[in-house]
Amino acid sequence: MTSKTNETSQTNWEPKIIAFLCNWCSYAGADLAGVSRFQYPPNIRIVRVPCSGRVSENMILSALKSGADGILVSGCHPGDCHYISGNYFARRRFALLGNLLDFIGIEPGRVNFSWVSAAEGEQFAEVVRTVTEKVKELGPATRLVKKIEAMQAA
Amino acid sequence: MPTINEKISEEIRAQAKKLLAEGTVAAVIGYASGSLPMTVKPLVVRRPEDCGKLLWNTFCVLNLANFLPEVLKSVEPPRGPRDPKPEGPLPKVAIMATGCWSRNIVVQIQEHQVERERVVVMGVGSRGMVSRRKVEALFAGREILAVEELDHDLIVRGSGFEEKINRWSVVRDNCQTCTHPDPLLVDVRIGEPVSDRKNPNPFKQVDELEAKSAAERWGWFTSEFATCIRCYACRNACPLCYCPTCFVDDAKPQWVGKSLDATDTGLFHVMRAYHCAGRCTDCGACESVCPMGINMRLLTKKLNKDVLNLYGIEAGMQPDSPLPLTTYKINDPQKFIVTEAGAGKEGE
Amino acid sequence: MPKGSVLVVGGGISGVQAALDLANSGFLVHLVERTTAIGGKMSQLDKTFPTNDCSACILSPKLVECGRHLNINLLTLSDLVSLEGEPGNFKAVVRQRPRYVDPTKCIACGLCAEKCPKKVTNDFNMGIGKRKAAYLSYPQAVPLKYALDPAHCIWINKPGRCGVCAKECPAGAINFDDTARDHVLEVGSVVLAPGFSRFNPTPLDFTGYGRLPNVVTTMEFERFLSPSGPCMGHLERPSDGKEPKKIAWLQCVGSRDINRAGHPYCSSICCMFALKQAVIAKEHSHGDFEPSIFYMDMRTHGKGFENYYTRAREEGVHFHRARVHSIIPSPDNQGNLKIRYVNEQGKVNFEEFDMVVLSTGLEPYRHTIELASMLGLELDADNFVRTDSFNPVATSRPGIYVCGAASEPKDIPQSVVEASAAAAEASRILAPVRWTETSKKVYPAEQNIYAQAPRIGVFVCHCGINIASVVDVAAVSAYAGTLPDVVFSQANLFTCSQDTINQMISIIKEQDLNRVVVASCSPRTHEPLFQETLRDAGLNKFLFEMANIRDQDSWVHQREPEKATTKAKDLVRMAVARVRGEGALPYNTVAVTKAALVIGGGVSGMTSALAFAEQGYPVTLIEQSDMLGGNGRKVFRNWKGVEFLPFINDLTARVASHPHITVKYNTEIKEASGSVGKFSTTFSDGRTFEHGVTVMAVGGEPYKPEGQWRFLHGVNPNVHTLLELDKKFIDDDPTLKNIKQAVFIHCVGSRIAERPYCSRVCCTHAIDSAVKLKEMNPDMDVFMLYRDVRTYGQRERIYQEARAKGVVFIRYDLERLPQVSEKEGRLIIKCHDPIIDAHVVIQPDMLVLATAIQPRRQSSTSLAKFFKCAIDSQGFLMEAHMKLRPVDFATEGVFLAGLCHYPKSMEESIAQAKAAAARASIILAHDAVPAESVTAVVTAAKCTGCGLCTEVCAYNAVSLDDNGISVVNTSMCKGCGACVAGCRSDAVTLKNIGNEQIMATVDAAFE
Repeated sequence: MTSKTNETSQTNWEPKIIAFLCNWCSYAGADLAGVSRFQYPPNIRIVRVPCSGRVSENMILSALKSGADGILVSGCHPGDCHYISGNYFARRRFALLGNLLDFIGIEPGRVNFSWVSAAEGEQFAEVVRTVTEKVKELGPATRLVKKIEAMQAA
Repeated sequence: MPTINEKISEEIRAQAKKLLAEGTVAAVIGYASGSLPMTVKPLVVRRPEDCGKLLWNTFCVLNLANFLPEVLKSVEPPRGPRDPKPEGPLPKVAIMATGCWSRNIVVQIQEHQVERERVVVMGVGSRGMVSRRKVEALFAGREILAVEELDHDLIVRGSGFEEKINRWSVVRDNCQTCTHPDPLLVDVRIGEPVSDRKNPNPFKQVDELEAKSAAERWGWFTSEFATCIRCYACRNACPLCYCPTCFVDDAKPQWVGKSLDATDTGLFHVMRAYHCAGRCTDCGACESVCPMGINMRLLTKKLNKDVLNLYGIEAGMQPDSPLPLTTYKINDPQKFIVTEAGAGKEGE
Repeated sequence: MPKGSVLVVGGGISGVQAALDLANSGFLVHLVERTTAIGGKMSQLDKTFPTNDCSACILSPKLVECGRHLNINLLTLSDLVSLEGEPGNFKAVVRQRPRYVDPTKCIACGLCAEKCPKKVTNDFNMGIGKRKAAYLSYPQAVPLKYALDPAHCIWINKPGRCGVCAKECPAGAINFDDTARDHVLEVGSVVLAPGFSRFNPTPLDFTGYGRLPNVVTTMEFERFLSPSGPCMGHLERPSDGKEPKKIAWLQCVGSRDINRAGHPYCSSICCMFALKQAVIAKEHSHGDFEPSIFYMDMRTHGKGFENYYTRAREEGVHFHRARVHSIIPSPDNQGNLKIRYVNEQGKVNFEEFDMVVLSTGLEPYRHTIELASMLGLELDADNFVRTDSFNPVATSRPGIYVCGAASEPKDIPQSVVEASAAAAEASRILAPVRWTETSKKVYPAEQNIYAQAPRIGVFVCHCGINIASVVDVAAVSAYAGTLPDVVFSQANLFTCSQDTINQMISIIKEQDLNRVVVASCSPRTHEPLFQETLRDAGLNKFLFEMANIRDQDSWVHQREPEKATTKAKDLVRMAVARVRGEGALPYNTVAVTKAALVIGGGVSGMTSALAFAEQGYPVTLIEQSDMLGGNGRKVFRNWKGVEFLPFINDLTARVASHPHITVKYNTEIKEASGSVGKFSTTFSDGRTFEHGVTVMAVGGEPYKPEGQWRFLHGVNPNVHTLLELDKKFIDDDPTLKNIKQAVFIHCVGSRIAERPYCSRVCCTHAIDSAVKLKEMNPDMDVFMLYRDVRTYGQRERIYQEARAKGVVFIRYDLERLPQVSEKEGRLIIKCHDPIIDAHVVIQPDMLVLATAIQPRRQSSTSLAKFFKCAIDSQGFLMEAHMKLRPVDFATEGVFLAGLCHYPKSMEESIAQAKAAAARASIILAHDAVPAESVTAVVTAAKCTGCGLCTEVCAYNAVSLDDNGISVVNTSMCKGCGACVAGCRSDAVTLKNIGNEQIMATVDAAFE
């Protein structure tokens, strides 16, 4: 079973950020950041998905539950979707989910959405820098996170 | 002189009897009186002679659309899950519907759960349904034995007391903020149409919470759902929740734990609300049936507000209009995208 | 009947690309390589510009594919010794020199080299360091077989004296009696890709090369930078091993130099090569590092080059526009070097450096000249193989084609383009005999792993030092071994090298692995190679995952090795979690519609269309105007003096009359659907065309001068653009002769913030126009106001000719633009001459503006949407890979050519158009192409029939059946997963990318 350990007490806390990146734009943008040697903080863990339209609310909520201190979902810019319209549907779903999470008090900056193209290596690095910085400011995630003790009890 | 609802009840009984007798429908979904004060129970009538049990009053809080797919199935000739559909038209079912319920029927049509031609909607304009919880709160500690409904008042009787209260003051919140009380889909009109209420702000409660800080909102969320006992009455009462396997029961992957852990409970409610995004008509059944009095309706109300503000859509207004999550516009708002210029919270 | 096979001579990137294109489109290829292994110059490079891609990493998959290709007969240590016959029926004799190691027995264990007592200068490392007489030229060599060096092997020279290797070889592969063999090959066409040599600077005494140890060439320096080179990628200078802090690059050593080098031409690639080395060296250095480049003109004329130049300047590379007089040792004799140079103003300066790198030019190999003479091919004045202006890969002998730098100095993308173009030409007359001499790949039967518990193997890659210099690879590999279900883990130097690939196959079998994880680079580049490896090992290729610990880890966390190592472990754990839940998937296919759509009726589009039609494929060519020819009709001639109009008229006539080509004028695209092998496109006339491939050749357009770049264009009648002047040339305007003074302004709208690219062809075009004016009236004064003269390659001749004819060149800076005004209709041009540091005023009769070339942004953008292609920030269409896939889009089945890709000359457009046709023909040559295997699948019991999935599917692949249950049409599904994310009841899932696998991956991040 998975969960975050009790990292809060540690002074050298490093957040873990889950990034769902679409294969065709944002994942390629992340590769380009690498090829271009644009440096960014090592807190991000990239999960490759075919399309931002593949990312469901359940995936995002479940990642929060598992202990992600931050989440980034990134896809192709509108109009560039490799699958024609996946990111348009995703945009609606993410807008509603983002607002709902905000409504229940999840800190702004925990869950982030971006568009990064295959040509935007520096933009990708910049997004990661911004998101990481923001999550570090927020501190370890606690809201909607399933605590390990609770899980053992369950 | 009979009250408005007594006249409506009479009309329902007559129409139902007629529809059954002439063979237009095979069943009628309506209400019969309940065993406790201020309760009614859903009733499916299949014979003209049983129509006398049907009634209409201000305590009809359950959404009858919730029963429609099942009753439709029940009047079909029996067949196996892989058997082809029988030839020719299938029997019809009549159903009472107010504004919100009729919109739920529209959503059911949009989502292929119900075929329009098999439903006879007996449309009733809603004058607002009373919250039993609100009445009981007024008489805290005193046992209510009977409640008599007048057009604008309720007479509440208990051992040793009888009081008259204003009906509207105890009408459910969702009915008080309802903007479409009259049915949008009507085959047989029952009673007089109820004009749309011009509510200054149907999303007042949402706005109030939105104005608070993230920490305060989180405080509300945790305390509101702390008492949830995971009985799933809210889910079961909802006409939108018709999945054969609900996500809470999914094992692969297990999205939500089955425990009473606050995170699991919270996630259940967030996911359930999200599944209703753009489909919920704010009928209030979830809240009405909750044994713990949890205001989970605020989550769906928030989503309704965003769907309306961002995409200009209200659930179930037209059978041929798209659902908000199965359509898009090229210029849909995207302020929430962090890489966009002027990024910020969506809808502000 | 012609022969269905082709001889390709030269195993560098050009030869390899040509061989792969031909073999993949149905021909048997004999690939003849002079040395022991293919790979050529590119294998010696550390990084490639402008993406700084690791050269070995992008090249290796191609080499491995070539080495393993069933229809490529690889002949190493071989030379073509004779060729007789006609196009379609050649008889070639290839002489293969002895390897002395039996390649069928050699297991590449390296014991022979380890035990060999004879040390030999390492030629792969440009003579730096030693190798043995028993050797492998480089670690990723293909074929991965050792060889004995007959010039140095003790036994071969004195039999009986040594023989250690034979004693030590566990495979008994050493064969001292090996002899030369002649292979007689019957082939239909011949492609030459013999490559290039580098100018040897030893005779140039002023450089000190050969005398001063710290003066090296760029190729030598490349080996210093390379992790597999003599210094393991650590920056060290030869004299004392100290890390150099100040390095100077000297440009044009042996290029643009008739007097000392006999090379009038520009070598085309050295400016970018030096820029790249300066940038990479800075990355390699610790602390302060000062790179300087001494140059005449900075020639960054390729796609993405100008930006690279700008970035280099921003990163602190110093640029000196200066001529170097001499390099002398520093007086303290500690190895430092003093450069004496003359700056633009003629002032003599000195500067001291730790090391000097000479950007030595390209030149033809001596043996290429001999080969050409044996084949009876014409060479040009520079001894490059002569080609035709309108058929840039055709030699003077029919049936023999040439590609790469053997015909003119050029960079890798252009060489790759030509390789594909040569493949198109070579296969043109052989189309009827496709597949007649080829064999079909048979994979071993796949083991059924359905009921097996996971047995996962993890291979962690050092990628030379690309990963290992940051990530503790050994620790990651050891950690992987501790993960549940992982039964094998191993670290490799280069996981993509042929030996590791072969080893992986045996390990999969020996260890009975049923799932594999490779932790290395990006799946976007390397997943196909490893998936193929799984198939060769009898595993379904979908039982595979990659952990991207290079592009998304070591390269982006260079200063945080510990955290990068932790992250690498996380990524491996996540990949293991993901692969654990994966299952075998079917290999779906789509039947190919054997027809092509070409968009754009310019020279590129027409060339592509003809290339398809001549192979017998029906083509629809759509043109938005009412005339074929495009921009080509507006240009007068090329720098060689060959006029375009006769060629274009001939091409137009051939296209318009070809029975396989349907030309649709005034036509645009209204709608397009489908994917590789099966597109369906609807035109503006409402008709629909079914086709298997698409070529986009929508062209470009001239920038219309405006703002500060307008220079009275459209105001004063004597201000023209280059194309407007060309119109006068074409019309033979007699008034041109009367002009007394003419001024040309270069870079109008190019190389500026709004258009940060060089338009590549305008320098040549402008200078040639100046020459033409001088031809018409030798007394005319012609002034060229330029920023850098970019007459790359042999175009340098026209620059020399212009200067010889008295054309005056005055340089300007962006800070001091020429000022153009008029007085009573007379033009007045004021500029600053940096050489005399004074203002110059000219009152010419004519001003010509060399305007930028820009993409047709609107049509490119809308087409890109139809065919799902990427567009760069400037609006140019974006190829799949800048270096190695220059005519492909990332979207399969769609190709590009011409100006919509980047400004280029007509011959370059023609080459690209042919290349696009060749690449597309690989698809058309097949009856079916692989289709998506990762498709959506419905669990009927969970389906509510709500129909959300049918609404969000962009491909109409999902529908509701009679029972109202959702069903997926696998052949139409593209595997995007929109239906999966939309489904509330989890009834739809994507094979191997299900919620379960994704969430297992996410959860693994937190273990």
